[in-house]
Amino acid sequence: MREHTEVVRPPRALWVTFELGRPLGVPDDPAFQGRVLRAALAMLERTDGPLIVDYPEEAPGELDLSGWACPIALAPRPEDTLLAEIGRLATWYDRAVARRGRTTVGMSGLSVAAAGALVTEALAGDLPAAQPLKLAIDDLRAFYLEAASAFPDPGTSRTRRAWFWDETTFAKALLALQPKLAASGDRQHQILANLTLIPATERHRLS
Amino acid sequence: MVKRLRDLPEVEARHLSLDRVVCPTYDDTPLLAGPPLAGRRVAIISTAGLHKRGDRPFQPGDGSYRVIPAETPAADLVMSHISVNFDRTGFQQDHNVVFPIDRLRELAAAGGVGSMASVHYSFMGAFPPDAAEPHARHLAGLLKSDKVDAALLVPV
Repeated sequence: MREHTEVVRPPRALWVTFELGRPLGVPDDPAFQGRVLRAALAMLERTDGPLIVDYPEEAPGELDLSGWACPIALAPRPEDTLLAEIGRLATWYDRAVARRGRTTVGMSGLSVAAAGALVTEALAGDLPAAQPLKLAIDDLRAFYLEAASAFPDPGTSRTRRAWFWDETTFAKALLALQPKLAASGDRQHQILANLTLIPATERHRLS
Repeated sequence: MVKRLRDLPEVEARHLSLDRVVCPTYDDTPLLAGPPLAGRRVAIISTAGLHKRGDRPFQPGDGSYRVIPAETPAADLVMSHISVNFDRTGFQQDHNVVFPIDRLRELAAAGGVGSMASVHYSFMGAFPPDAAEPHARHLAGLLKSDKVDAALLVPV
């Protein structure tokens, strides 16, 4: 954040306007990333700081796919379960991993089915400890978004995030879990409920 | 690499406002000249909550860091940052958009910088600064022992 940088006054800071979470700007664009990197390192030659240099280039916008509809029928059905949804996404996740040669799933040490079972149990019964639950949820979140990137028409990262919150049983499970965690007497459950479960932009979905 | 609060959706801007996030202030800013870039040894210090698969995940209030050797394959990098308020799909697609290790390696090979550190590091940005200070002081010693004279801090 520029405002925070102006308070802390580090020796040299490069200001970029890219989406939070993408400090080098554009995935799979080595030339763009290289320009950002060189601009940051070039500031080391200057000694007139503390300085904030405005990076002149913006990340190219993603195509406007408002109205994009997920090509895979994943909208939850009344009888649906989280584990069934996870099973339906597994093929797409496997395709994504095969294409990229890597996955960011794997913090919890659980299989995605076991992570799904932990979330299901948390909703239905006693809450597990906050940290393993948080890691299982983060693994599932990564699993869903990586799977969606391999759909025949994957849309954009923005439409995939909208799909996640609008259409998946898992997102509905997170929204249902939030008040239960918030009501827990455990401080770590409360932190999960109030800070690290639902993004600020999606908290309006909490009833 | 920083953004303005006013560019964010209102709820995110409120979440990150200076009323809620206490930033440390310092009486002065240490700023030193150094050798030309082509002679510098550069380390990446991320605050994206990155670590090798199997390393300790980050937890709320965690001011410690994780070690990422330069030769770590991309497939072994995971992110356990506790925040849900930034995009992760970019990292899922290409780790270099968060942790530009391949770009730095290319720059070193092309002579744009002298060399790349043998080890890089990641903190998890959502920590109180006091919690990180002892770890940061220790890390400074490690960087010196690796003969690093340029640190590229990459927040998310």
